[in-house]
Amino acid sequence: MPSDSPLPDEAWLNALSSLPDMGPARLRALLADRQPEQAWKVCLQGKPLPEVEAVVGGRLLALTAAWAKAAGQLSVGELWSQLTNHGVQVIGRGHAEYPACLRDDPDPPLVIFAQGDLQALAPAPRVAIVGTRRCTRYGTEVAYELGKTLTAAGVSVVSGLALGIDAAAHAGALAVKAEGQPPVAVVATGLDVIYPKTNRALWRQIAERGLLVSECPLGTTPAPWRFPARNRIIAGLADAVVVVESHEKGGSLYTVDAAIERQRPVFAIPGPIRSPASRGTNQLLADGAIPLCQVSDLLEQLPQGGLFIDEPPPPPVRALLAPQQEQVLEAMGWEPVSLNALADCCGLSPVDLSAALSALVRSGWVTVERGFYERMSNTT
Amino acid sequence: MLAAISSATLLGVRGHPVTVEVHVANGLPAFNVVGLPDTSCREARDRVRAALESSGLAWPNQRITINLAPTGVPKAGAVLDLAMAVGLLVACGEIEPELVKGLAFLGELGLDGSLRPVAGALPLVDAIEEPGVVVALGNQAEATVVGPEILYCVPDLRSLVRALRGDEPWPVVTSIPEEESLEDDPDLAEVRGQRMARFALEVAAAGAHHLLLIGPPGAGKSMLARRLPGLLPDLTQAVALASSRIRSAAGEPLPNSGLLRRPPWRAPHHGASAAALVGGGSMVMRPGEVSLAHGGVLFLDELGEFAPSVLDTLRQPLEDGTVRVSRAFGSAEFPAQVLLVAAMNPCPCGGSGAPGGCRCPESTRARYARRVSGPLLDRFDLRVDVQRPNPLDLLSGDPGESSEQVAERVISARLRAEERGVVANAELSPAMVEQAAALTEEATQLLKAALYAGTLSARGLHRVRKVALTIGDLSGHQGPLNADLIDTALSLRIDPFHPVGHAVG
Repeated sequence: MPSDSPLPDEAWLNALSSLPDMGPARLRALLADRQPEQAWKVCLQGKPLPEVEAVVGGRLLALTAAWAKAAGQLSVGELWSQLTNHGVQVIGRGHAEYPACLRDDPDPPLVIFAQGDLQALAPAPRVAIVGTRRCTRYGTEVAYELGKTLTAAGVSVVSGLALGIDAAAHAGALAVKAEGQPPVAVVATGLDVIYPKTNRALWRQIAERGLLVSECPLGTTPAPWRFPARNRIIAGLADAVVVVESHEKGGSLYTVDAAIERQRPVFAIPGPIRSPASRGTNQLLADGAIPLCQVSDLLEQLPQGGLFIDEPPPPPVRALLAPQQEQVLEAMGWEPVSLNALADCCGLSPVDLSAALSALVRSGWVTVERGFYERMSNTT
Repeated sequence: MLAAISSATLLGVRGHPVTVEVHVANGLPAFNVVGLPDTSCREARDRVRAALESSGLAWPNQRITINLAPTGVPKAGAVLDLAMAVGLLVACGEIEPELVKGLAFLGELGLDGSLRPVAGALPLVDAIEEPGVVVALGNQAEATVVGPEILYCVPDLRSLVRALRGDEPWPVVTSIPEEESLEDDPDLAEVRGQRMARFALEVAAAGAHHLLLIGPPGAGKSMLARRLPGLLPDLTQAVALASSRIRSAAGEPLPNSGLLRRPPWRAPHHGASAAALVGGGSMVMRPGEVSLAHGGVLFLDELGEFAPSVLDTLRQPLEDGTVRVSRAFGSAEFPAQVLLVAAMNPCPCGGSGAPGGCRCPESTRARYARRVSGPLLDRFDLRVDVQRPNPLDLLSGDPGESSEQVAERVISARLRAEERGVVANAELSPAMVEQAAALTEEATQLLKAALYAGTLSARGLHRVRKVALTIGDLSGHQGPLNADLIDTALSLRIDPFHPVGHAVG
């Protein structure tokens, strides 16, 4: 292999993780007692290793052969320059920038690909905000507000940049214009594979103003097993995990398991008992998670302490609401409700009801989505 | 040895006069039908021969040629049987040619000589130019609706021949008992709760606005939709005739009176093909469901399960009120003025569709939403959400208004539409909307905001104004449309498939 100057460990790590069917456990087995460069040579020779066999069992020979074939076709130097061109930094476990909180992790990522402001990995309070992709307006709002308040208070928001709660938390963090802590997004694909595509804008903003993190090399497409694996990094990076909304068997519960394993406090946002999107979080509360009703509950628990938050803004004035609007507001409760259901329970004529509702939507008391009306949480 | 008898054939839903020319000559016995007969028309040979013999009449063992003029028009079905039999009898000299002058013959023959009713008697009799028409007894009601100068209804070939020869008087035409409709429309009072959906039904009936009901299975979408025809006024004479003609041509049952007076209700299954929905066929053009529902309600349950290409064929008929079906050998035009009502689930999982309340990922919802094209969705002026009713309403709730009460308001609203020169507000042209649906300053601002926000298209803007006008008509509102009416029209027009926004602020 032609090389003028010796390549750093990270280049070999990158090449190793680019091999087919490579995962964190196999990578750890390969690097058990050898340097990345040695491990690469072992792969290239197609030598079956007992450490790998302990992880993959009977598939050892097929896998080593596949690795040897792929390694023969890959150029480590080329892969390395691709990363540099893409502005992606690679951090191995020995690297100075490797986050301290992951050093004694039970299952640490052996290599981290990062894009953006590496300062975000420096020791600082970090909180993970996670939750379901299929969230309600309540969930998005809480996640957004939480992301915004924590960022403004000097806490870095860590999330997975998925749809729903994750995206709302990141959007809230980015809404803080100055002096906010940079948000960290831990994704489960290569840093050049934007997933889900609808989050493209958010993805770019985080790369510019925060930090994108992944343990997958460039070009890795989404695979179901990578998401729970990604969640352990979220839990590892954060000092506390907040679950905003989760269905009964939601993916966020993997993050919770990982957080418990790493002894990070888990907070859950209480939700309506009839909302399926809150069933998982309410169960977490029953199982002993800390209810998060105000941000100070969380800030007190952070090890660094010394954080403060601004006084919450005064609630909007409820004066000047017409009696019919009051009546509608009373009838609608706090869950999304359809116009038809509202008409049956509030007793107004269809025209009066529509007029009152539209006025409430215009003045910001109520939001409407797909024909479902929901009361805004910041209006009491 | 030559005879020419008048009859008619169906082209789409219209009759077309046909002259049946019969030539009997010496030569090898044969029976040929020429002039574009279809298979069942060609098979007349065997029916006519058996019917003649069963009726005690002689079969000429000669060379018989039957020409169906005009020869360029395709002839379908057995409606020409009777004219062929009478023509043969005239050509053989069994009946004097003068006796059949001024008469046309329509009917299918049985092997025993009985005369069977045919599909499409109404348009067929309508197409006859002769003053007198002979039809089967079973076609009496439909033929009476058209009212030819002389109408003879006969049970079989034998009594026809006797009556023609003057041996017996013509069978007496008895009057037909009046019957209002084929089946009673169910009453709206049976629906508990669902106040907004009932209101949407009322608006749909009053303004002939197309309606989309969205909700989970078991919410009562079909139940609501089935009650819409009962809210509509009786058909006008012209629409009743057109609608009865289509039904007759398609061989669908008609009320005893032969004339459909109540708006029809058609609910094709979602497996329907494009030809079944808008009409078509290769030799015989059959009207589709959209034409069979002319003047009434076309209900498409499970809209999302219809093939998207099939649904899109509905766009043009909905806009123009007619369907023109063209095939290689000709084309036919069917009237198709319908009130379209459709029902669908908000997503494949059948959940409530509420944000956070369904198991479908956003991509599945998006795929489901794509099954109904934007242009078609835009044609539904009213799009309301129907949730499962409150259990308390089901058990103890007061019954709502009856269909009769609502229908009265619908009629008064339609009277106001008539003052504007249309049957219902949905038919108002853009120029007429400007004139009839003026807006207050506040209402203009509302619509502007909706247009700028992208929630309303230019077509949608028009439709919202028409719906607001109908709502005003129903409540006796006078003067320009105010913000309340526009608000109501806008909230009856939800966007069921809008993806959930994940970022606030």
